[in-house]
Amino acid sequence: MSLVAFRRLALRLAVGAAVALFSVAASAADAGSTVDTVAKQVIDIIKTKTGADRQAAIRQIMQANFDLPYMGQAALGTHWNQATEAQRTRFLAAVETAEARAYSERFGQYSGQTLSVGKVTARANGVSVVDSRLNQTTGQPIKLEWELRDRGQGLRITDVKVEGVSLLMTRRSDFNSYIQSNGGTVEPLIKELEARAAR
Amino acid sequence: MLESVAVTMMRKARHSLVAMTAAAALLGGCATGDTGAAEVWDPIETPNRFMFSINRVVDIIALRPVAVIYRDWVPEPAQKSVRNLLDNLGEPVTAINEVVQGEPHRAATTMARFLVNSTIGVAGLFDVATKLGLERTKEDMGKTIGLYAGVEPENGGFYLMLPAIGPSNARDGTGLMIDYLVDPFRILTFNLAIDWTAYQAARYGMNVIDYRSRTIFALDDLEKNSVDYYAALRSAYTQNRAELIRQRREKTDTKAELERRDNLALVR
Repeated sequence: MSLVAFRRLALRLAVGAAVALFSVAASAADAGSTVDTVAKQVIDIIKTKTGADRQAAIRQIMQANFDLPYMGQAALGTHWNQATEAQRTRFLAAVETAEARAYSERFGQYSGQTLSVGKVTARANGVSVVDSRLNQTTGQPIKLEWELRDRGQGLRITDVKVEGVSLLMTRRSDFNSYIQSNGGTVEPLIKELEARAAR
Repeated sequence: MLESVAVTMMRKARHSLVAMTAAAALLGGCATGDTGAAEVWDPIETPNRFMFSINRVVDIIALRPVAVIYRDWVPEPAQKSVRNLLDNLGEPVTAINEVVQGEPHRAATTMARFLVNSTIGVAGLFDVATKLGLERTKEDMGKTIGLYAGVEPENGGFYLMLPAIGPSNARDGTGLMIDYLVDPFRILTFNLAIDWTAYQAARYGMNVIDYRSRTIFALDDLEKNSVDYYAALRSAYTQNRAELIRQRREKTDTKAELERRDNLALVR
């Protein structure tokens, strides 16, 4: 191989690598900034709103940034396939209410927490994992990991792991066990979730 | 006297090594091809749920109220000192585990912490060592077994609901027992033939109250937002322990962790 041809090849490889790196970095940066924006918005809501206002605002943020249908489907596991279209819609609505309420109550009063976003890992299957730390005014920071997927609506959050505990996996375990001890159908679970949402 | 203590400790350590290897072998034998996404293995669910309901009654009428009072009424510095004292008493067990985990440097740091805090830190009431840059680590035999078991850390053998202590599994239950057996403070009182039962009881009791007071928020949240509290706690406990073990396995397992995430048997 002549020196010129070799140089050309090397140049092409370098350009190719740079392009590949850049595109990975771009999607990684997106995932990181999505998490960062969501955290800032949530902190802002907790500072300024309470009660029903807060719940509605949190719900809006979840609808805009979380892939709720995916999360619901994953939480239901194999039972999703057995559910009718109407059951799925009711289930997703009830879960959304439950999650929005859980989040708005969970935070309580704002006491100076901040979220610092760390490493972002882009996976080959389109999942981005964002590491972050929730810094508290007292005590150790809490380790939070976010999973983001792009299923045609842009990057959406599909799971949050708190100190290694995936909220989605825990929910899934919870729901599946409830279904199994209540006749193996989704109807009792949906009824229970709806009853809780109405409370 | 000291020599005999050392010999006893070594003998105990050797025994525990054998037991640990046996436990690891036992654990390695069960549930292959586990991606960690499957449900937690719980073959004795009925007795476990029974124990869980007893634990909850005790928790509601006794433990939780005490923990709430402890958290809200005892001044913060006092709570911190109690925490430091209990942590300091636990350092030798952590050091032993770090040796078994093949981390002599961390074990040395832990022992240095123990010596500094026991003397300058007034019997462990003040954590002077952290201010001197000796970082605190906490290890237990459950994590040590998990490190060597060679299975997904989500697989800790069968799930086990222990009385008073709460969620555990074959791995962590075995670990708890070994930790108790190798604890130099327990061995010391035994060998010196001093009746320290009251002190020991106070120590374990305080550990339980302190631990409960720090988990009030998380457990209340989990209970309120789950339809089957037992199952939700089982999942959360297993995941949390797996995360701790994965951190010990360090970089070598980063790939495995990412593959596990890809393999999650979620509906796609």
